[in-house]
Amino acid sequence: MRDGIVVSVAGAALVIAAVFLMPVGAAEQAQSKAKPTSAPDNWTLPRTADGQPDLQGVWDYRTITPLERPAELGTKEFFTADEAKKFESDENQRQNRDLIDPEVGGLNYPPGGVIPYNEFWYDRGDKLGSQRTSLIVDPPDGRLPPWTPEGQKFADLRAVSARDDQLGHPHANSWEDRPLQERCLVGLNAGPPMTPGAYNNNFQLVQTPGYVVILNEMVHSARIVPMDGRPHGSIRQWKGDSRGHWEGNTLVVDTTNFKRETNVAGTSANTHLVERFTRTGPDTLLYEFTVDDPVMWTRPWKAVVPTLKSEEPIYEYACHEGNYAMRSILAGARASEKAEAGKKGLK
Amino acid sequence: MHGWLKGAMFVAAAAALIVAFLLGSLSSTSQTTAYHAPRTADGKPDLNGIWQAVNTANWDIQDHPARMGPVVELGAAFSVPAGEGVVVGNEIPYLPEAAAKKKENAEKWLSSDPEVKCYLPGVPRATYMPYPFQIFQTRDTILIAYEFAGATRTIYMNSDKKSPSDTWMGWSVGHWDGDTLVVDVTSFNDQTWFDRAGNFHSDSLHVVERYTPISHDALDYEVTIEDPKVFSRPWKMRMPLHRRLEKNAQVLEYQCVEFVEPLLYGDLRKKP
Repeated sequence: MRDGIVVSVAGAALVIAAVFLMPVGAAEQAQSKAKPTSAPDNWTLPRTADGQPDLQGVWDYRTITPLERPAELGTKEFFTADEAKKFESDENQRQNRDLIDPEVGGLNYPPGGVIPYNEFWYDRGDKLGSQRTSLIVDPPDGRLPPWTPEGQKFADLRAVSARDDQLGHPHANSWEDRPLQERCLVGLNAGPPMTPGAYNNNFQLVQTPGYVVILNEMVHSARIVPMDGRPHGSIRQWKGDSRGHWEGNTLVVDTTNFKRETNVAGTSANTHLVERFTRTGPDTLLYEFTVDDPVMWTRPWKAVVPTLKSEEPIYEYACHEGNYAMRSILAGARASEKAEAGKKGLK
Repeated sequence: MHGWLKGAMFVAAAAALIVAFLLGSLSSTSQTTAYHAPRTADGKPDLNGIWQAVNTANWDIQDHPARMGPVVELGAAFSVPAGEGVVVGNEIPYLPEAAAKKKENAEKWLSSDPEVKCYLPGVPRATYMPYPFQIFQTRDTILIAYEFAGATRTIYMNSDKKSPSDTWMGWSVGHWDGDTLVVDVTSFNDQTWFDRAGNFHSDSLHVVERYTPISHDALDYEVTIEDPKVFSRPWKMRMPLHRRLEKNAQVLEYQCVEFVEPLLYGDLRKKP
């Protein structure tokens, strides 16, 4: 078990408040049970008092299945059981920050770069969510579709910014230069859509007559989804404007009116998001989403994320309240400028 | 006067007294027994809905006259409305040192109030801030989503689970006492306040909330505050909470972090 501690880490503004308390043994057991495509024979879908499929509970979406299929796997959609085992072992080795020598670099860190956290702080899981080789299932190559020219422009800017972070020269003229999750405006994995990330990969579903709530642990974000058929409004929000309905036993959540980009691979405010939640067994829920954002991508794309029931409660992730790192990053940037100016003055 | 008339008047007066007594006792014991709330599927009073306090408690939980606000440019648009307090009896039993601290908080309101910094507001303050909140009630879990700062809290019904750490919004365990939802809240940190007047607590705060439906569109909200490090005895606040009746009423986002970044980080922005 890991306990809630507030940390600030030079070079990364993410603040961990109350985190990851699932016992490791339980997590492994749960993950190895995951067979999201076939429900046990003796299981019947539970229903709420008003007859809807009962999806309630805390769902854990940790996985090391990559969003995009590694290029070298080409068109290979599924691992064999042996390949899956080998991938897990290799990937856990590769991701382990404690094994990366900053001088040499590794993972996506360049030689001479900064490794922002040590391994203790990660809770990304250590298993594949299924035998799929990527979370993206469409396009069929398991990779994000080609950018539009506009999308390419933003992707290039993000790449430069990320590389400068990794080299220890963060863009920090203002807090507005920092990613939304570092400012605690949105959770790094909460989207919407939700995508597995470094830690706090939990959400809770609560159903009452007329509503579903999607509560993300990070950053205590309650997405309230009216189920009464009302149309989308006109108010833009960070979490967008979600409306839900049932298609058979699947909860479908349709979201528009995003205020700005969310943190998922570059979605714009223009995104039309459709999420589908299907309970597939007593301990499994399949989460699927389709992103349609013609500003950024030349075609829609879809991902599938298996999730597992957790018996742990959602904890309070007080991000902004403990965001000491934002001041540290900005102060660091100002100090660097001063040092730089001093050097020039000597010449 | 005829003897029989005297007797009749006596009887009438006695009857009037009895009626007055009955009415008095009805209204003083509680408004709560008179109203039978609609039920959820599991037979409990249905508290689902969007609710909001209509009072000035977030300015000051005690009686207060109107006064000028802190920003000259905002004039009448952001001055302080007068209000009758929500503290039962109006007195807050501060220990002597704590009373001094409260006074200091009030003087340093703008630089010290956690609300100004968009921090999670704590309980019970979240209830009576001037923003709506929504109750999602199920048998085992009641989720409350507050508009201010996107604060949320989960009430675990009849649970013996303990909080793993102290928190801003507290750790809430609920049970039903007749038609009243009783919520026992503990595991607070010492960072939240009760209002903009500097009323505060320590990390020993223990809050007991009682939510009782008194009509289809109103709840009676009573809170007992206990904190032996700050107060000499427990004390209470009480107020009605009102249902938001607008068609398509929603709890919207008030993600205030971006509104306070210039205040919190502005001194570290690169100078042009």
